[in-house]
Amino acid sequence: MRIVVGQGSCGIAAGAAKVYSAIEAVIGSSAELTITGCIGMCFLEPVVDIYDGETLVKRLVKVQPSDAAKIIDFVNGNADAVNDIEITDDDKDFLLKQTRIALRHCGVINPEKIEEYIADDGYKALEKVLTTMSAEEVIEEIKVSGLAGRGGAGFPTWFKWNAARQSQGDYKYLICNADEGDPGAFMDRAVIESDPHNLIEGMLIAAYAIGAKEAVVYVRAEYPLAIERLTNAIREAEEKGYLGDNILGTSFSCKMRIKAGAGAFVCGEETALIESLQGERGMPRLKPPFPAQSGYWYKPSNINNVETFANVSWIILNGGEAFASMGTENSKGTKVFALTGKIKKGGLVEIPMGKTLRDVIFDIGGGIKNDAQFKAVQMGGPSGGCIPAELLDTVIDYKALGATGAIMGSGGMVVMDESTCMVGMAQFFLDFTAKESCGKCVHCRIGTKRMLEILNRIVKGEGKEGDIELLEELCYSIKDGALCGLGQTAPNPVLTTIRYFRNEYEAHINDKKCPAKSCSDLLSYAVVADKCRGCTLCARKCPVDAISGSPKNAHVIDKEKCIKCGACYNLCKYSAIVME
Amino acid sequence: MSCCNCNKSDLSLINDVLDKYACVDGSLITILQHAQDIYGYLPVDVLYHIADRTGSTPAKVMGVATFYSQFRLQPVGKYLIMLCQGTACHVNGSEKIEKAIKDELGISDGETTEDGLFTLKNVACLGCCSLSPVMMINDETYGSLTPEKTKEILRNLKAKED
Amino acid sequence: MDMINVKINGKEITAPKGQTILQIAEANGIEIPTLCYIAEVKAYGACGLCTIEVEGIPKLLRACSAVASDGMVISTDTPRVRQSRKIALELLMSDHTGDCKGPCSLNCPAGTDCQGYVKLIAQGKFKEAVELVKDKVPLPASIGRVCPHPCETACRRKMVEEPISIAFLKSFAADEDLKSGDKFMPEIAESTGKSVGIIGGGPAGLTAAYFLAVKGHKVTVYDAMPEMGGMLRYGIPQYRLPKEVLDMEIASIAELGVEMKNNVRIGADVTFDEIKNAHDATLVAIGAWKSSSMRIPGEDLEGVYGGIDFLRSVALKNPVKLGKKVAVIGGGNTAMDACRSAVRLGAEEVYVIYRRTRAEMPAEKVEIDEAEEEGVIYKFLNNPVEIIGEDGKVKAVKLQVMELGEPDAGGRRSPVPVEGKFETIELDNVIMAIGQKININGFETLELTDRGNISADTETFRTSLDGVFAVGDATNRGASIAIEAIGEAQKASEVIDSYLNGKMIGYKKPYVSEKIVTAADLADREKISRAKMPQRSPEERIHDFNEINLGFSVETAMNEAKRCLECGCHDYHDCKLIRYANQYDVKPERFAGDKHDCPKENELVYIERDQNKCVLCNLCVRVCDEDVGKGLIGLVGRGFTTVIKPEFADRSVTEFCKTCQKCVNACPTGALKTL
Repeated sequence: MRIVVGQGSCGIAAGAAKVYSAIEAVIGSSAELTITGCIGMCFLEPVVDIYDGETLVKRLVKVQPSDAAKIIDFVNGNADAVNDIEITDDDKDFLLKQTRIALRHCGVINPEKIEEYIADDGYKALEKVLTTMSAEEVIEEIKVSGLAGRGGAGFPTWFKWNAARQSQGDYKYLICNADEGDPGAFMDRAVIESDPHNLIEGMLIAAYAIGAKEAVVYVRAEYPLAIERLTNAIREAEEKGYLGDNILGTSFSCKMRIKAGAGAFVCGEETALIESLQGERGMPRLKPPFPAQSGYWYKPSNINNVETFANVSWIILNGGEAFASMGTENSKGTKVFALTGKIKKGGLVEIPMGKTLRDVIFDIGGGIKNDAQFKAVQMGGPSGGCIPAELLDTVIDYKALGATGAIMGSGGMVVMDESTCMVGMAQFFLDFTAKESCGKCVHCRIGTKRMLEILNRIVKGEGKEGDIELLEELCYSIKDGALCGLGQTAPNPVLTTIRYFRNEYEAHINDKKCPAKSCSDLLSYAVVADKCRGCTLCARKCPVDAISGSPKNAHVIDKEKCIKCGACYNLCKYSAIVME
Repeated sequence: MSCCNCNKSDLSLINDVLDKYACVDGSLITILQHAQDIYGYLPVDVLYHIADRTGSTPAKVMGVATFYSQFRLQPVGKYLIMLCQGTACHVNGSEKIEKAIKDELGISDGETTEDGLFTLKNVACLGCCSLSPVMMINDETYGSLTPEKTKEILRNLKAKED
Repeated sequence: MDMINVKINGKEITAPKGQTILQIAEANGIEIPTLCYIAEVKAYGACGLCTIEVEGIPKLLRACSAVASDGMVISTDTPRVRQSRKIALELLMSDHTGDCKGPCSLNCPAGTDCQGYVKLIAQGKFKEAVELVKDKVPLPASIGRVCPHPCETACRRKMVEEPISIAFLKSFAADEDLKSGDKFMPEIAESTGKSVGIIGGGPAGLTAAYFLAVKGHKVTVYDAMPEMGGMLRYGIPQYRLPKEVLDMEIASIAELGVEMKNNVRIGADVTFDEIKNAHDATLVAIGAWKSSSMRIPGEDLEGVYGGIDFLRSVALKNPVKLGKKVAVIGGGNTAMDACRSAVRLGAEEVYVIYRRTRAEMPAEKVEIDEAEEEGVIYKFLNNPVEIIGEDGKVKAVKLQVMELGEPDAGGRRSPVPVEGKFETIELDNVIMAIGQKININGFETLELTDRGNISADTETFRTSLDGVFAVGDATNRGASIAIEAIGEAQKASEVIDSYLNGKMIGYKKPYVSEKIVTAADLADREKISRAKMPQRSPEERIHDFNEINLGFSVETAMNEAKRCLECGCHDYHDCKLIRYANQYDVKPERFAGDKHDCPKENELVYIERDQNKCVLCNLCVRVCDEDVGKGLIGLVGRGFTTVIKPEFADRSVTEFCKTCQKCVNACPTGALKTL
């Protein structure tokens, strides 16, 4: 038997490394112990799979180090030893309802062993391309597949490849954008950590198609494990002859290296990324010229995102038409989403385009935590927008999502319930973009700052009549005037929240109320006299002694003193404290 | 990391890195990353030294060192608390965790406690969204935080130092 | 060379292939604003001002980098483009801390460049100083002597010790110029063949005459009095403004070819219509020459005079007869002129009766003090309720005793009567200096305001009659100080010129950036006392009407001028930012918020850098790097808090900056300054 511990960053954070050590300590010779990447069921981490040969016999979830003995007991023949930690049928659905292409090896193979990748049809697509296809044929296959950039913009991949291929130049570069910046998306990290060879193979096919001799992966500095596993994978691939000179004995040569980013969201913009690769401040260049004409070291360059590359080998092996058979008229194949926030089953979800938001959030994600009311889902991170409950049946495709004011983006899907203030949400994203603005162009540098200031005063209850209109004016001007994608999309969270939740803005500004009861400056706490039993607990725990009262008598909160920390509200056993 | 008490950094520590990268175009960020690993932060004299060896101007090196959030020009505490400010953490109450840290240690984002033990740094998404709210202290990740749990973690670390 | 055809704003243009839209527009005289582009360095795209629309392209393009292609249809001035530029400029101004102009200049009703001429005086360039003053004020020797100088009221030097003696410096420079034998005379434009009639030869009329003549128009000034000068001649006593000085300045205006006709009273000697019909444009600047009445019993007694009537009689060298005891009623500058003139005419006891206290007196403090030195007795908190007569002559005045009540809307505490408390003083004469009114006789066809003044548009100075303009004391809010009338006249001359050229353009107050400065900001300044104007002693001066001020020496004047804090921006006239801000009518207040804060420094030794005025166009950095090849400065930080900083291990590298200065020249604002 083989015990496989899921060891993605998430899993490790949840304790997977400790689980691994605990099992290792007691395993003896009863079974083989190994690791795999991220299966994407974050809500169940740490996950331990037990295989008999190639057959998965048990999937154990939320495993603790103390469960090690039970697991060994099971592999030694006690069939009921791990029943209490086995995945439920309901939770199994989370995976069964998905269609995995980009993530097909994630959580299945050991990402640190190239042999496991090869055993699962790895590098077969590369071999097919190098030995049987011309560059034009590869680009044609990708064109047939309808694959579009998964990083956010959704630009047809074949078009970029073709532009770079046709661009004049003696030396061309292929670049992978793994600077996953959306604070709430982690599919790229999962792919690199769990299936690095799939990325390498996809990149090599792209390099062959455009004629690049050198490939660079620009990875976020915050992803140390991804860098470690990719470094290892590149070394393995070089050793096996998949990388370097005369790959697989053909005339195609390509080298690959990793460049670690240093923390700047704007480097997700391709020209800023190139500046950063060149060791400069990551400030976007003027376009045109586009990277296909003048990119890295001013040579023709092509940049795609991790998930885009992760689909390539599958398309080559299964044919562009198979990929295109999934999805909608204008969006083909599958898309991975990072489902987080107030969701019951958070994790990575890969589904064919054309499903609805409801399918993802309720059918796969199991609905809202604590069965609260669904309010909105934020898609596309700081460049995207909030889609309200009434649009839950929106189809997942570039056009339909764009029509809502949000974007497909890189696939961040943050679910919000009625306790999330939408003005606060807009403020959160503007705070992010204002901090991450590179400072080059005026519209973004000062415009996002001013938008943030206006939002700050609204959530503080200092909003003024005309603020919504002022925000809108700024939004449209920044979209029009900003130099790069960061600035041009920064207003989206504000515009969508104004569009769908204007009443919340108005409540903050006109009535000085936060309907979600989230903005602390607009809240006040009070004791409901006939519910209060006079237990004195709140008075004792109040950090500023704002609550007074004698035992067994109703207490009173001094609103002048109260700092709105909410401690009393959370402590009271009799629900005698109300928040208004 | 000083060579003596003269407040000058030991520049020899970074020579190997510079030997390897100084002549490779576009390596400034890589060099700075190594320098930060070596010195714990980026001392100004080290930046000047890097400029000198790479043929950049000090202005350019400073420009790069201050652009990226990974780089710091001041030493950090023994425990670097990286508090995730991702969307999921925000939705699940990271603001309250930040307040708890401030209450417990008296430091805000970018500040270090007077005893030099703790530095708080708000960071973009750590990518552990399902465990939100999350913080990382040195290499350890702490998930599903509550204000009370956060304070307890910090108190335990403090107790370890006493 | 390959050529392409493009259309910009409807104009067909042929241009070399490969040029940017900005280059093509520039070459064809189409202005596209930009702050961050100059030809010496690569396009950068930061300022967002050069955005334009191209047919078929949904996004706005940056003209600095977009290369034109054959057949492009380009629009550089669409509403969408203007909005984008306007927002960019508003955002920039909302993060801009600096004074375009000093408070002196901003507070001067005529907008005189006080800081500019004070600096020229400090450098000993008196003629140049006068030239600069005469950009706005053609009577500097006279005005410098009499102006209540709002410039000095606003002067920030008062937060260190005392304001700069701006007004006297002006008359000093003008005096020097007049006696130099090579006085400044403006160049006169070619004759336009148009004529302007100006009614009233006071400060406003003379000012308009000067500027309109300089613009090449034929100007005739009509005045009812025997000589030109208006209130400067007939309202201001000789001891403050010697008429010889005024004569010289009027002569300079006459030398420009201005025809001056005295003793012409409208309605009596000629009709308003006749003058109007004789000229292409007419300016009414008739002043306010009627003393206001107090409406108390006894005003018609013999020995009661109006303040300005009294002063006029003195100026005409035919003074009314005064007795031994004279009371002047009022607290303004006319009251001071009257009481001090009365002293000089031999009155033994001269009272100034004023309803409020010394602190509330609108007259200048120095005048109040000087009058007291000359023996004038103040009776504060007294309000005349009746002039008591005997045989038709003044015998006494009955005064209601007052006290100060609550502050009024203007912040001044209003006087209220103390119930039943009165005082009576014996007198021979009462001079009522409580205000002036317009005499409208002869101008009945003009529409008046509620107050009975001529109604004139505040931007175009147009009256109800086509081609007739009006300025000064006779208009709108009524009488004010001379510099106010001069300011209006100078602006009106621009409007009249545009009117004569066929398209009237009204005056619009330019938008300027202003910053708040407190005493704490100036705490490090060395205290240097304000220069004292040498004066004749009170004992001596009360016996004649000779000028009491003796004038600054050259040394005193230059030293005084050097006290200037130079608040206004050295780059105001060349600053692209403020020029565009005015072109796009910005309202940055709506985006008021945090500002990037960074003190002035001169780490580059020969160059002062004031980042508060920096727009992060990065031109200095790029020029130093790309064009000069030095790279001494760079961007630090990111986002809103980004600043530009010099960085070098060895300061000696800055020796190069001494002669280079390319960054200073490239800076589109006043953020960089050669030291």
